[in-house]
Amino acid sequence: MIPSNPPKARVRRHLVKTAGVAAALALAVAACGGGGSGETAEGGGSTTLTITVWNLAKTPEFTALFDAFEKANPGVTVKPADILADDYPEKVTTMLAGGDKTDVITMKNVTDYSRYSARGQLLDITDMVKSTDTSKLAGLDAFNVNDSYFALPYRQDFWLLYYNKAMFDKANIKLDGPITWDDYAKYAQQLSQGDGNQKVYGTYHHTWRSVIQAISAAQTGGDQLSGDYNFFADQYNMALGLQKGGNALDFGTATAQQADYRTMFETAATAMMPMGTWYISGILEAKEKGESQVDWALAPMPQRPGATDVTTFGSPTAFAVNKRSENADLARKFVQFAASKAGAEAITKVGVVPALQDPAITEAYFGLKGMPADDLSKKAFEPDKVVLEMPVSDKTSDVDTILNEEHQLIMVGDKSVTEGIKSMSDRVKSEVLN
Amino acid sequence: MAHVMTHPAPGGSQTPRRRRAWRDTLIGWSFILPNFLGFALFTLVPVLAAFALAFMEWDSANDPEWVGLENFARLWNDENFHVALRNTIYYSAGHIPLTLAAALGLAMALNRRLRGVEFFRTAAFFPYVTSLVAVAVVWNMLFNPTAGPVNLFLEAIGVQDPPRWVASTDWAMPAVIATSVWRDMGYYMVLYLAGLQTIPKEYYEAAMVDGANAWQRFWRITIPSLRPTTFFVLVMLTIQSFKVLDLIVVMTDGGPGRSTLVLAQLIFREGIREGEFGYSSAIALVLFLLVFTVTVVQFRINERRSS
Repeated sequence: MIPSNPPKARVRRHLVKTAGVAAALALAVAACGGGGSGETAEGGGSTTLTITVWNLAKTPEFTALFDAFEKANPGVTVKPADILADDYPEKVTTMLAGGDKTDVITMKNVTDYSRYSARGQLLDITDMVKSTDTSKLAGLDAFNVNDSYFALPYRQDFWLLYYNKAMFDKANIKLDGPITWDDYAKYAQQLSQGDGNQKVYGTYHHTWRSVIQAISAAQTGGDQLSGDYNFFADQYNMALGLQKGGNALDFGTATAQQADYRTMFETAATAMMPMGTWYISGILEAKEKGESQVDWALAPMPQRPGATDVTTFGSPTAFAVNKRSENADLARKFVQFAASKAGAEAITKVGVVPALQDPAITEAYFGLKGMPADDLSKKAFEPDKVVLEMPVSDKTSDVDTILNEEHQLIMVGDKSVTEGIKSMSDRVKSEVLN
Repeated sequence: MAHVMTHPAPGGSQTPRRRRAWRDTLIGWSFILPNFLGFALFTLVPVLAAFALAFMEWDSANDPEWVGLENFARLWNDENFHVALRNTIYYSAGHIPLTLAAALGLAMALNRRLRGVEFFRTAAFFPYVTSLVAVAVVWNMLFNPTAGPVNLFLEAIGVQDPPRWVASTDWAMPAVIATSVWRDMGYYMVLYLAGLQTIPKEYYEAAMVDGANAWQRFWRITIPSLRPTTFFVLVMLTIQSFKVLDLIVVMTDGGPGRSTLVLAQLIFREGIREGEFGYSSAIALVLFLLVFTVTVVQFRINERRSS
């Protein structure tokens, strides 16, 4: 546009022009930078609701819930903001820090919830929670911050034992009640077979620390924020024993090949697998699409010897309203809807466990096509006690990081169980609790 | 020009000349202005803001609070920072010399008349343009401790107890370094190839006439003639090594334990995940000073050798 070598007489004019172009550019750039994202609500009461979600295509509950809400509120459109599941907490943190106005923020875990609420980024919805019947809403306590609420749970996942029924039948093992961890280890040994690519493991422990740590805490009453972790020892010894005996895929290999627990179970590479209830919808979908032929059923999480009740751990998922939402009324309405019976029914249909616990809903759940129909599977669905996966406090995430690092070191055999537990305790005490 | 010529007064020529110089400068500036504005807005201002943040406490939602040197005092006693700093230096100490040597070796090998040399050059450059995530995933498979080709090969040639690579605290970092050398050597090879081609053939001919062997020619002609290239490669490699993040996040995510935790990752973790943006900025500032110091030293050494 600008001649590269302008005649001198016209320099001044060109300079003015150039400056003008530059200024316009600067303005344009500034406008891009300062504009921010988020939907602009036109006038009073917009009918478009924006909601942050993860992996929309693989998380059918969101679409089910949004469709139901749109149907119940004609004229309203829900616009999901899809985020990669692995990056979800970081992305949402950055969005909120940047003043994003997305109306509803999905709380993927309680730790992030405690951070956002402490920073004042979520709308206080205590009045709404108090005026709603929440007696049947599991997991609500986790969102209580000094008697205030900034989110309402809509789903409550807890852990149980998935097992390959065909393999159990073949080995003549019949499950008719909750088993102990000793039984579990024994079955894992019995059910392991084959070699190389044909290897079938008795069980699969995914690489998350909760597989060992959260279940120990729930079943022994230990506190994961206490800085004293001897209660992890039994579970670690059991898991390492199975790994060493070739009855469970070894941790280092699982990490190196980024093992997918779904593939492990759906291709019958493992006979058992402790995992959360969210996976039920995954198996149902895989079988429906013909991607897996696994003959599966559920059992309660194995228990410590002598336990009379079934204790497991779990964590709720919730919706919260962004404090900067320009559409707060509609957003509140959605949060309430998701926690209501109508919301629960909508997500039950796709195999997701709602926070609202109601016999009718459980029945509808087991009426789904492809669900196992035996009594133990149903019993697995009604644990006596579900302990929160990780207690919520301002120390949670620092402790979580340490416990995870030391967990890896124990599982790859770099530290013995005793050494690992000692360094967890030492590090949590000196780095976090001091 | 016409302007000056119509006013040939001896005393008056200085003012227009100065004005003209100013005009030229302004025109010059106006050309780089759009680019500079982008840089200023998206790089310079955020960087300066991050420097300021290093002396504050900020959770991204509420007003930042001035805390002076508190963040740095905390750094001094933070074991995670020490571990990350050690690992970053370990990574750099492996990555810089090995990449340099590999790139130079490749460039020497491919700087000759050889049938299909273009193909081999392209092949060597290929890792650099491949998606890093794909590279990391594939190398993770190669390094698989039980069924990976690397260990199967080692076992086949008689290594009794091959390293467990990314599943071991001792071998995870060497595995990461090996991957990063493989990935980066092609790029620096191109730089070295360009450098090699500027060396006049006459030097070698003269040396051969004088009876210098290949080794002597390499040390006495090739290496000194490549000094400007080596300097550039060294500076780029240093900066790149100190701020390594992507490869480690995908390959090991800092594990097992903290054995591959590096500074850039700690910055991300403390800032984005823990919401401690002040503390995270303080770590970033330290990393910046570290890279800056090393680079300045490299420049000084280079200047001294040049003169």
